[in-house]
Amino acid sequence: MRISGLAARLVLSPTVLVTVVCFYGCAVWTAYISFTKSSFIPNYTFNGLAQYERLFATPRWGVAYTNMFIFGVLLVVGALAVGLLLAIMIDRNVRGEGFFRTVMLYPLSMSFIVTGLAWQWVLSPSIGVQHFVRDLGFPNFTFDWIAQQDRAIYTLVFAGVWHQAGLIMAIMLAGLRGVDRDIWRATKVEGIPTWRVYLGIVLPMLRPLVVTCVVLLSVAVVKSYDLVVAMTGGGPGFASDLPGKFVVDFSFERANIGQASAAAVVMLGSVFAALAPYFYVELRKRGQ
Amino acid sequence: MSRTRSALLGLAMSMAASAASAQPADVIHWWTSGGESKAVGVFAAEYNKRGGTWIDNAVVGGPAARAASMNRIAGGNPPVATMWNVGVAVRQLAEQGLLTNLDDVAKAGNWVANLPPLIVKNISYDGHIVAVPVDLHGGNWMFYSKKIYDELKLQPAKDWDEFLAQAEKIKAAGYTPLAIGGQPFQEVWLWMPVLLGSTGKENFKKIYADHDATVAAGPGVKKAFEVMAKLRQYTDAGRPNRKWNDTLLLVQNNKAASQFLGDWGKGEFAAAGLKPMVDYGCAIAPGNQGAYIMNVDVFAFPKNSKPEVLAAQKKLAEVMMDPATQAQFNLFKGALPARLDANISALDVCAQAGKQIIDGGPANQMPNTALAFSSDVDGQITDLITSYFNSTTMTAEAATAAFAKIIANADK
Repeated sequence: MRISGLAARLVLSPTVLVTVVCFYGCAVWTAYISFTKSSFIPNYTFNGLAQYERLFATPRWGVAYTNMFIFGVLLVVGALAVGLLLAIMIDRNVRGEGFFRTVMLYPLSMSFIVTGLAWQWVLSPSIGVQHFVRDLGFPNFTFDWIAQQDRAIYTLVFAGVWHQAGLIMAIMLAGLRGVDRDIWRATKVEGIPTWRVYLGIVLPMLRPLVVTCVVLLSVAVVKSYDLVVAMTGGGPGFASDLPGKFVVDFSFERANIGQASAAAVVMLGSVFAALAPYFYVELRKRGQ
Repeated sequence: MSRTRSALLGLAMSMAASAASAQPADVIHWWTSGGESKAVGVFAAEYNKRGGTWIDNAVVGGPAARAASMNRIAGGNPPVATMWNVGVAVRQLAEQGLLTNLDDVAKAGNWVANLPPLIVKNISYDGHIVAVPVDLHGGNWMFYSKKIYDELKLQPAKDWDEFLAQAEKIKAAGYTPLAIGGQPFQEVWLWMPVLLGSTGKENFKKIYADHDATVAAGPGVKKAFEVMAKLRQYTDAGRPNRKWNDTLLLVQNNKAASQFLGDWGKGEFAAAGLKPMVDYGCAIAPGNQGAYIMNVDVFAFPKNSKPEVLAAQKKLAEVMMDPATQAQFNLFKGALPARLDANISALDVCAQAGKQIIDGGPANQMPNTALAFSSDVDGQITDLITSYFNSTTMTAEAATAAFAKIIANADK
């Protein structure tokens, strides 16, 4: 017993070490840098909140930060809804289930770079949907969201949902298949309509799976850098910028690690602030 | 006896040979396209010919290459030489004491007398030369479709008002007057010649070289922003996130009339087998007559405690600043040699026209954003220009005020 405990600790220790040093260590270092005068190269002179003051006075950060919430909420809700609907459709024993499952899961096998590029082409006014429909004989048809500053962020949501919905479908489908048949029989005997069974009984049973999906989607939101780069490049202007791209741009191209660190810390803080209450509630429920 | 002697001789010779073929130099750069890698091959061949061993370390993409260099410098294993865009960034490296002092090579090669003063200023730190400029790209060129211009009987415009009037005609004829891609740096390439043409050479220099915020808030800058807003109407719908070379295809295929970018655009035309002033036109941007916005690539040599590395660095610097080598290098690169005494008779007509402007003296030699500002300030200007160019609500007054504010804080 004691020896096996020791072995387990030994085996785990490299992982723990890597986690502590690379994740927590670097996070602490980044936070520290954000309170210093660092710009081109780390400079450990303490500078109070100056980096944060400048960050929040930067219009581009305002746009990127707001976009994270627009993109985040819409992607999580959108992908969950679409994924769930697809899962339910397949769960109703449609013909060719294997085919649909593969087709719908396929986008996930593509990288965000490919997804972004493909959607850029689809949405580009000069070669994509708009061009196609106009050629069909509707010369006034306009769909140029990707070229409009106040709409571009929603095109990222389209692409994101398209990419992620398959994964949500797969997870939810697994959950739906795990639902006891007796429950379905009982509801049928009682004459409850199918949609109410899903909404009132089955979904609440799948709550842990929904939590898993929300976590996976949130991670996708926070790390969504490649999708923006490939699809809109943060444009038009910087209208579809996201914090991830902001941080990378500032730390590498603009050689300002002070600003990049401050932005990264705000990002981390916001994610904590957004997810902590949710997990608190979820975990407490499970504890009961 | 003679056998021993010849053996000794052979040994001595092989030692000499190995000493000569030493001096390995690993060089980080991001010249990976066809013309670029041919150009860098000129340096490699010449360095090898002079007894060194060039170790090519090409990294795709400027930011990635710079990050690789920084990581190696920070990690104590610096490359022998690393490419950089000239400007404040190089001076910052020098300020941290990270670059080899090249004063003796510069003196022996008479660099200072043969380089534009603005370049000398930007490769120096604290009175010492710390980098080698290898080319002199011009940032304010207009490449145009000869077919469209000939068809509509137009000549390249002499100022921006004329350009806008021509654009109206071109649009009426069913072509896109202005090709531009939606990447922020392409909008900045358009911005610089617009600003220069709207505010004049002196004021441009006051803003970019002296960081004069009063001039930056003046009527010339406001005019430039107004021109930018008008130019937006003459672009095509396929603009979002389009790469500059894909955009240039529109001019190559005579779908768009003009594009504003640096002379690196010639490389794309050359790759398509098109000849300057025959298949496509090059002209200095409207209102930019007698001005050459310089964009310079340099090599810097990170400090190293090993004497053999220092020797390799100095030899490499000599090779790169050799007038004949630079001329050959720029034949493939599409730019002018940074050395003004290099023989450029082999370069194309556009380059010859550029050279005439450069030879007009320092008054004609303009800094680009990288030469004028830190990459941080450069980024702030880029953000402003791109958000203005894509916004339908921001006014020219507001943009001018924001621009003046950036310039006022540029040195803080």
